[in-house]
Amino acid sequence: MTRRTYLIKRVIQAIFSLWIIATILFFLFRMGLPDPTAALITEGLNAEQRAAVRAQFGLEDPLWRQYVLFLTNAVQGEFGTSFSYRAPVSEIVWERLGNTMILMLAAIVLAYGIGVPLGAWLSWRRGSRTDTVGIFVGLMFRSAPMFWTGMIAILVFGVGLSIFPTSGMRTLPYDADGFLDKIFTLDFLWHAILPVLIVALYYLGSPLLIMRNTMLEVYGEDFIEMARAKGLQERDILYKHAARNALLPVVTQLAVTIGLAAGGQVVVEVVFSWPGLGREILNAVRTSDFPLAQASFLIMAAFVITLNLLVDILYTTLDPRVSFR
Amino acid sequence: MTRKYMLAGTSMLALVGVSAPAIAQERVAPVEIFTTTESYDPIRYEGAFIIAEAWRELGLDVSVRPMEFSTLLDRFYSEQDFDATILGWSGRVDRLDPQFFLGTLDSRQAELGANNPGGYDNPDYDALYDAQGAEFDIEARRDLVHEMQDVYMGDVPVVVLFHRDEVVAYNNTQFTNMNAMAGEGLYSEWVPMEAEPVGDRTTLRIGGPQEPDNINPLASTSVWGWKWMRMYYDRLVRLSPDVEPVPWAAERVDPVDDVTIEVTLREGMTFHDGEPLTAEDIAFTFNYYMDSEYSYFNSYLAPIESVEVTGDRTVRFNLSEPSAPFATITLSQIPILPAHIWSEIDNPQDLTPEQIPTVGSGPFAFERYDRGEFMSLTTNRDHFHADEISVDGVEFQIFADAEGVFTALQTGEIDMTAWRMEPGQIPLAEGNDDLTVVSVPDFGYFHMTYNLRREPFDDRAVRRALTMAMDRERMVNVLLDGRGEVGTTVVAPVNAYWHNPFVERFEYDMDAARAELEEAGYSWDSEGHLQR
Repeated sequence: MTRRTYLIKRVIQAIFSLWIIATILFFLFRMGLPDPTAALITEGLNAEQRAAVRAQFGLEDPLWRQYVLFLTNAVQGEFGTSFSYRAPVSEIVWERLGNTMILMLAAIVLAYGIGVPLGAWLSWRRGSRTDTVGIFVGLMFRSAPMFWTGMIAILVFGVGLSIFPTSGMRTLPYDADGFLDKIFTLDFLWHAILPVLIVALYYLGSPLLIMRNTMLEVYGEDFIEMARAKGLQERDILYKHAARNALLPVVTQLAVTIGLAAGGQVVVEVVFSWPGLGREILNAVRTSDFPLAQASFLIMAAFVITLNLLVDILYTTLDPRVSFR
Repeated sequence: MTRKYMLAGTSMLALVGVSAPAIAQERVAPVEIFTTTESYDPIRYEGAFIIAEAWRELGLDVSVRPMEFSTLLDRFYSEQDFDATILGWSGRVDRLDPQFFLGTLDSRQAELGANNPGGYDNPDYDALYDAQGAEFDIEARRDLVHEMQDVYMGDVPVVVLFHRDEVVAYNNTQFTNMNAMAGEGLYSEWVPMEAEPVGDRTTLRIGGPQEPDNINPLASTSVWGWKWMRMYYDRLVRLSPDVEPVPWAAERVDPVDDVTIEVTLREGMTFHDGEPLTAEDIAFTFNYYMDSEYSYFNSYLAPIESVEVTGDRTVRFNLSEPSAPFATITLSQIPILPAHIWSEIDNPQDLTPEQIPTVGSGPFAFERYDRGEFMSLTTNRDHFHADEISVDGVEFQIFADAEGVFTALQTGEIDMTAWRMEPGQIPLAEGNDDLTVVSVPDFGYFHMTYNLRREPFDDRAVRRALTMAMDRERMVNVLLDGRGEVGTTVVAPVNAYWHNPFVERFEYDMDAARAELEEAGYSWDSEGHLQR
């Protein structure tokens, strides 16, 4: 198989997976969630009024027709109108996704930026007290629930010391011309520090441990012996030869993490009142807002699938051992 | 009846049961109690288990079924597919007139989806309901309302479990003269109009986890939408903090006869865009609502047959039947829309957020709404009431949960909470000198509604016995931490004028419950199951 046909095959696979996910989402929500008119109207509508509300949102059509319409629209990037907001879903999702991604990407960059070199360093000093402490700290933040670390951070740095703001992503109200204008301010940075740190500490464990463990495997390889025999400095062996080879699993983990980041860390978004997609999804499911929930989950899935695809493609260049079978 | 006689009675019945199989009794069918999930509302969830436990003691086979909230509403209202359900009514200010809560027991509201899902059907009660609705003499109306409470209480189609106090807090270093209103708490339409700044800031900051579903006055179906919109839309009448109707955009409301009401508008009112507010706008608004598909105000608009302009500042409402609460309820709820803007809009429900007009005539003018984050209003200095208002505007910050709201209150980021505090936050707030905690009794209530179409709830004696088997005192003390009151009738005690304090009360008394059942011909089999 040539590289070209391999790529085409992978892309087709990705599209097929997305279609399956879209289908599952569509039927799952309709079977699993209560009638949205129940959530829309708290006052008890009579049957006629309910039918009118249902017709307004196209819920009276047969299921297959709703499904076809949903798919055709989704292909065009059109996800309909949110039941509860009565606004186009795509508008809500993109805005919220932007807010989530800026928080998550900052945290991921921080976690991997620190975690990878730290993991490499720990592997070098394996068995030492530093190694034990490093693993312990990584595991601790990985296992501590984020609502807990988040609340402690708010209590200490927000309420107690009054250093950082405790909620939102900007001091309200703010005017911003577009997304970049919203985030390139000191005020945003000030609001972002606590939530970014909390998420970063949580994520830190993965790159740290993966890096450390793969490094240990790499140390046993012949080419390391070779490098030593050549009389290279330990530091050069560590960062130039071993680390580069140990990076592959970290890259895979990174791609999955970024993909899942689209859904945000709901807990952090709630604790810090961050107006992100995770918080929005929670509300959408709670109010049976099918269009909003579907679109959010579908976009998350698209993220994960696309990033996996990218990793596969990246592997074909990074790792010559990958063959096109 | 003493215990001895009761025991004797029971054993006699048991003997009869054994010796004469011809009149053998059948076990009472199992019943289900529907309630909310624990995460949605732990109070109603726990309440259901307290009740189930006591009913089991009475020999009933009971299970508790917690349900996701929308599903619960659906089963209760739209399908009426339940045995007994625990739900609640919020105490919105327009419900202080007894009309609404009394209507939940009217047999003509028992169809699918309407407000009487339990299906209580009592012609005497219905007749009284009609009579009070048509009675303009307030004292005479009160007598009828009291009689209604007396009539239904003995039949117990519904049990008012308890009223939960609304506990909110504000920052006393920023604002003073913050008066809570029954059923509304601090977040009433009056607080922004009455609050006096004591610090440097003159903008009142409110914080809460709830946000409007939307701010379209022809699509919003939530209390949170209307709590916000009523500040920038005027109504003909507003209900005062003491819940008395005061003329607002109306200068006068004059009954012409039983079914005709003439409203004279205040002089010189304008909308926020500078256009004058005229009688045409009033007639347009009411007709527009009546012609639209928007059902939220339907019950308020139901008595109106037509609305006509009779002069520059006068409008006449022709009603299809006499309606005593018309001024209190209808005129105080319908927001006045500018005809020159809305008359151009054909499908108002379909407006996207950007297209929704936000021009009202109220004491505050709409400034902005950033979904999920922030809303603000500025004081309308051209409003007739503006001289009474000390704040320059109102801001509302939207938080993801109650914890975020409370943190913001502690750090001074917001001045008051829009929604009740969590039980754990109350002592913390009380211990903070900068915060004043305010507690108002609620006239909304949590209720257990029996489905009177089903066995065994179709039997009055069973309903009475099961009600006696509810330890509501314990629920208030344990579940509400004492911050509430045991319920009696659907018209709450805090609604003192309309509440009838002399109705039959159902105190917690298991012996009386057993006696009630025995008297109605029930007995218990050898395993203690209730049978008839």
